[in-house]
This record gives sequence, C-alpha cells and structure tokens, in this order.
Amino acid sequence: MKLHTPVLRAAVGLTLTALVLTGCRSGGDDEGSGAVDGVSSDACPAKINPDNGCIYLGVISDLTKGPFAPLAVPITDAQKAFWKKVNEDGGVGGYDIDVESNIADAEYNPEVHNRKYQEMRKDVAALAQTLGSSQTLAILEDMKSDDVIGVPASWNSAWEFEDQILESGANYCFEAMNGVDWAVANRGVKAKVVAVGYPGDYGGDAAAGVEAAAKANGLEFKKIETPTGQDNQAGAVAAILKEKPDLVVVSTGPAEMATLVGGTAAQGFKGTFVGSSPTWNPALLDSAAAPALKALYFQAGPWGPFGTDTPGHEAMRQAIGEDVSPNDGYTAGWTWSYPLLAAIKKAADDGDVTREAIVEAAKNLDEVDYEGILPPEAGRTTGEPSETAYRASVISKVDESAPTGVTMAQELTVGPTAEGYDFSEPCFSLQ
Amino acid sequence: MTDFVQALVNGLGQGSVYALLALGYVMIYKATKVISFAQPSLMIIGGLFAYHFTRVWELPFWIGLVLAALCGAVLGMVVERLAMRPMVGKPVFTLAIITIGVDIVLRIIANRYIGVQSKIVEYPGGSERLSVGGVSISHQTLGLMVVTALVVVGLLTFFRKSRTGLAMRATALDQETALAQGIKVGTMFALAWAIAGGLAAIAGTFVATQAAGIEQTTWIIALKALPAIIIGGLESINGAVIGGLAVGVVEALTAVYQPDVAPWLGANFALVAPYALMFAVLLVRPYGLFGQKEVERV
Repeated sequence: MKLHTPVLRAAVGLTLTALVLTGCRSGGDDEGSGAVDGVSSDACPAKINPDNGCIYLGVISDLTKGPFAPLAVPITDAQKAFWKKVNEDGGVGGYDIDVESNIADAEYNPEVHNRKYQEMRKDVAALAQTLGSSQTLAILEDMKSDDVIGVPASWNSAWEFEDQILESGANYCFEAMNGVDWAVANRGVKAKVVAVGYPGDYGGDAAAGVEAAAKANGLEFKKIETPTGQDNQAGAVAAILKEKPDLVVVSTGPAEMATLVGGTAAQGFKGTFVGSSPTWNPALLDSAAAPALKALYFQAGPWGPFGTDTPGHEAMRQAIGEDVSPNDGYTAGWTWSYPLLAAIKKAADDGDVTREAIVEAAKNLDEVDYEGILPPEAGRTTGEPSETAYRASVISKVDESAPTGVTMAQELTVGPTAEGYDFSEPCFSLQ
Repeated sequence: MTDFVQALVNGLGQGSVYALLALGYVMIYKATKVISFAQPSLMIIGGLFAYHFTRVWELPFWIGLVLAALCGAVLGMVVERLAMRPMVGKPVFTLAIITIGVDIVLRIIANRYIGVQSKIVEYPGGSERLSVGGVSISHQTLGLMVVTALVVVGLLTFFRKSRTGLAMRATALDQETALAQGIKVGTMFALAWAIAGGLAAIAGTFVATQAAGIEQTTWIIALKALPAIIIGGLESINGAVIGGLAVGVVEALTAVYQPDVAPWLGANFALVAPYALMFAVLLVRPYGLFGQKEVERV
C-alpha cells in the first residue's frame, strides 16, 4: 500500500493515535498534607477543636471524567460532611479528623490510583475512600506494607478476605444473588438470566453472583462483557436481544445501563433489568431512556436510598444540607464512614491511635453503629468471612417523586441463594 | 432478515452522527488542507449549547437545535480567526497539531460546564417509535436521519448553485487563482470552519438526546468520524457521508453477527470494526473511496 500524500499519511497516523486514545482515559493531580504517618499532635487545618490532635485520612476517588464521577463527587462530599460532624461533636479520642487535605482524583484508572497513593502514602493514617476494585487492588500491597487501612468505594466480595479493607454492606456478588432471587419471586422470571457488565472485578463479581443464583433457581445463564462508553454498547444490546432473557443483571456505570435499557426496550425487549447499586443516577430520568427505565429497571443496593427514614439517613441529610441535589452517592459515602469511625474510636479507647492500632482495631469490631442504615452486626469483623459477610440487599424501583428517583420495593432481605452460599473464597478472584 | 434490517437502521442512525462530523472534517480539509482535530470539542460544545437553550432557557428542541448550530458556526469562525488564520502558510502538520491544542482548551471549558452530571437534551417524543414490519426506529433517530439528509442536500446545493459555494470550491481547487479572481480566501476559510462548527453542533445536539447525554468522555464519539473520512476520501462530501454511514452500519452489523460468525475475533470486536474497514479500503483505494488520486510530476 502506498500513501500518496504527507497529509494522508499524517491523517492515518493520527487516526491510529485516536484509536489508542479511545482506550485510554487518564490524567489528574493533587497534593498531600505532610503529616508523619497521618497522625499529628497539632490541630487539623480546620481547627474545629484547636486543642485536639489531627488524624489525616486520604481519599482517592473518581472526581472528574471517570464513569463513576456522578457518584464519586457526592460520595466524597458526604465523607467530608461525616467527618466534619464527628469533629463538631468533639472528635475521636482527642483527635479531629482531616479528610480534606489529601483528596486525589484517579479518574477510575488503576495506574493513576497507584500514583496518587504514592503521593499521599506518608501523609495519611488511613484511606477514607479508595474507589474501584482494580484501583484498590493496585495499591493493596503498598497499603499492607504501610499498615494503612482503607474504606473501599466498591462492594467487591474479595474485600471480605482482606484485613486492610473495611467494607460495608452486601458485596456485588450477594447483591446480584438477591436481585435474581427477588426477580424470580416478583417479576415472573422463569427461564434465562443474562449478566451484562464491565470486564474484570466489578462485572465479574456480580456475574458470579448471578450465575450462582441462576443455578439455584434452575435458570439458564449467560455472561456478556461490555466496555465503558455509551457509544460502545451496540454489541451488548445486540447480544441481549439475541438471547431474549427474562432477566438482565447489569453491572456497569449509569450511562451504559441507560443505553442498554433504552436501546433494548426501543427494539421491543420487555424483560426485567436489575442493576447493581452503581448503575443508577437520577439524572437518567431526564433522558430518552426514562420511560424504559420506569417500566423495566430495578436497582439492587446495599442499603436504603437517600430518602429512607432512619436516624443515619436523617443525620446525613442534615449534614450535607438542603442546597445539594439528592444523590445516593451521599448515602454511600456517609454509610461507608461508620466502620472507620468505629475502628478509630476502638483504637483510641485501647490507648494508641496509630496506623497499626487502627488496623488492629478494625479487625476486631463486634458491631458498628450505622444509626439504623444497616443493623449493627453488619459491621462485625471478628470471625471468618463466611460468618461475618453481610448478605442482605434492598431492591429499589424507579420513582420520580423520590429524592433520588428510586424508592425501596423490598427492604434489607437475604435471598435464599445468598443465605445458602458457601462463601469460603471470593466470588471473583481479583488476582 | 428482520435482525439484519434492524441492525442496518440502527447503524444508519448512529452513522448519521458520524456523517455530520465527517462532513465537518472534510469542509475544513477541502478549504485549508488541514485535518481539524478540534471537531470533538466543537461537537461537545454544540451539544451543550443545545442543552442550555432547551433545558435552562426552556426553548423548544428545534429552535434550540438551530441556535446551537448557529452558535457552533460562530465558534468555528472564532477558532479559525484566532488560532488558524495567523498560521496560514505554515506546514499543514503544524496546523493539525494546533487543532489538537484548540480541542483540549475547548474541552476543558466544556468540562467545567458539564461537571459530573451528564447533560441530557430532551427530544420531543424521543421515546416514541415507528414500527414497520417488525423493524422499529425511534422518532429521535428518524429526526437525526432526516436532519442529516437535509443538511447534505443543502450543502450540495450550496456548493453547486450559490456564488459563495462556487467561491469555496474555487478556493479549494487553487487558492492563488481564487485570490487572483477576487475571492477573499480568508473569508472562505472562516466559512469552512463555520460550516464545520455548525455541523458538529448538530451532531452534538443529537448525541445529547441519547440515553446518557453528554458526559466528559463523550467527545470520544467524534473520533469515529476519522476512519469515516479516510474511507470516504478526505476531499469528498459524498465520501464523508457514505464513509460515516458505513462506519455506523459496519459497527451495528458487526455487533449483531460477529459473535456468531467469527467468535474467534473476541468480544466487542465491533469497536474496532470501523478501523478494520478503513485498512481494508486503504489497501484497495489508498486515497479513499471518493478521494482524489494525486498525480505528481517527477
């Protein structure tokens, strides 16, 4: 082949560059706080309690251009509000908590996530948020060597088996099992279930749960992997239409989920969709897919949505104020913070607030006060994962009148598949 | 057969977006011999104009679309005047690189407006569908295809019948001769950028009506118009349209049939199918399906 002009050669070259760029979405920058091992006898920068010392927590999130940015920003804001309230209530064991000095945007990119951790690893006592499963895995070994515990902004089943990770709520795997069991009981699902999700940890964990529930319910099972990007869902849409399942369990971001539901419904598909908790974004109610979402979509989640009536939800709504748009990212960020607070409290009660002491305390929690969002036993970490893993999920339906566009159709419930599941290893291996 | 026709219709719908974008690339290339990599940002900003007009100012969709196209055109002219005009005479590769810089700057501005919530434009009756013989098409896709067809016919008429269109063609053919004939070449450059900006804004508006609207990563859609212009030929309006539609159709057909026909190609091969088509076309016709075969005197 001979390319006849320099311009044409340049165009082909730049087109190839564009092809590479299509698969690469990265960047970002931020700075750390400078405290040694994240604990200081000096007051925090906010000086809410000037006589208290300061425990610095890090946040590595997806704050601008990654697929979960619409959730990650409110998650982060809720965590700021949570720890601000803790400080306003007097702090923990003579310390205030600073969660604002070490916030990094990793854009849902494991490589950037790792880089951001390297930048803050000397400055934080723990991570108040590490968003994404692969992303957290990218720093897990360093967290272990640093004795830094992290709160994952993800619900991977592997976290139950990691001492360095302090998770809350049912993982994607149990959530998917509960979603399938609920759909079998309430949506007339009888024949076939398809799991559509991102390749790897998040989609893989949910798909493993779907497969287990399909087997338990005598359903045919098919797994479909789909990439990020609403413009890249044609293959998954075609596959769903070809398989004609009763039920589709989706584990993607909100944009991809809406494209799948809207795209298949537009071609006559009438099956039920159950999405993993990160698939929902209330902004989707403004989209052309809204009628299809109202008719076909349900969300499986680890706890009640934003508008739920519990003391914890109420405390969250008050703390974040009335000037924000309701979003279940707030609910998640707020709820995830309770066990870390419990661990720091326990470490302080035991007389030693250090990284090592926080990790040790986190391994020995008998219960966590979630203020009613989850039952206290959901925070138990003493025992084997098969005993301590919390297996109940809620199912929510689209409801335009609700603050975040969804209300509970079923409260926290453990389905029969999750109840009997042998959880002796992660549903999906991250290694 | 129904599946095939449905995939074809879906592909033509998505291909219409690529065709509009590809037309923009070709407009600028014909006038200036520069591949503009600013089209993704022009598409995004055009969609955001439409969002602002229809959701914030609550204007009807079609008025919002026209205003967005006009604003996109003005933005294209501004880019040409500020970033491109001072560089006239420099190597075209340098100018192409400048358009990448322009794209980055405009996208940073757009991202500030987008924030973290996607910006969705509501198409009137967007969820309603027309069904014929088991094949259905949404009103939104139908609207997109009709608008694309009208734009293409309008552009072809403009270039064939109007004095300005003929002046643009003359400029594309030979800038020095056009200057000698009294044509304001700089104005023709600006006009080409204006048309490209308007076309990108129309494409962006329809992208914003899709299920997930416009997010910070939506600009990547515009890159799929690049294989379209290589397939169709860099200087051909007809080629841009056919190339754009071909990319959409190949994507849709590959998504439906490749998992059964060629599963060994792996999952989601549809994403790279347009590039595979581009290479296949280049092997047979190195200047594209409708490109000009260049003859050089040695």
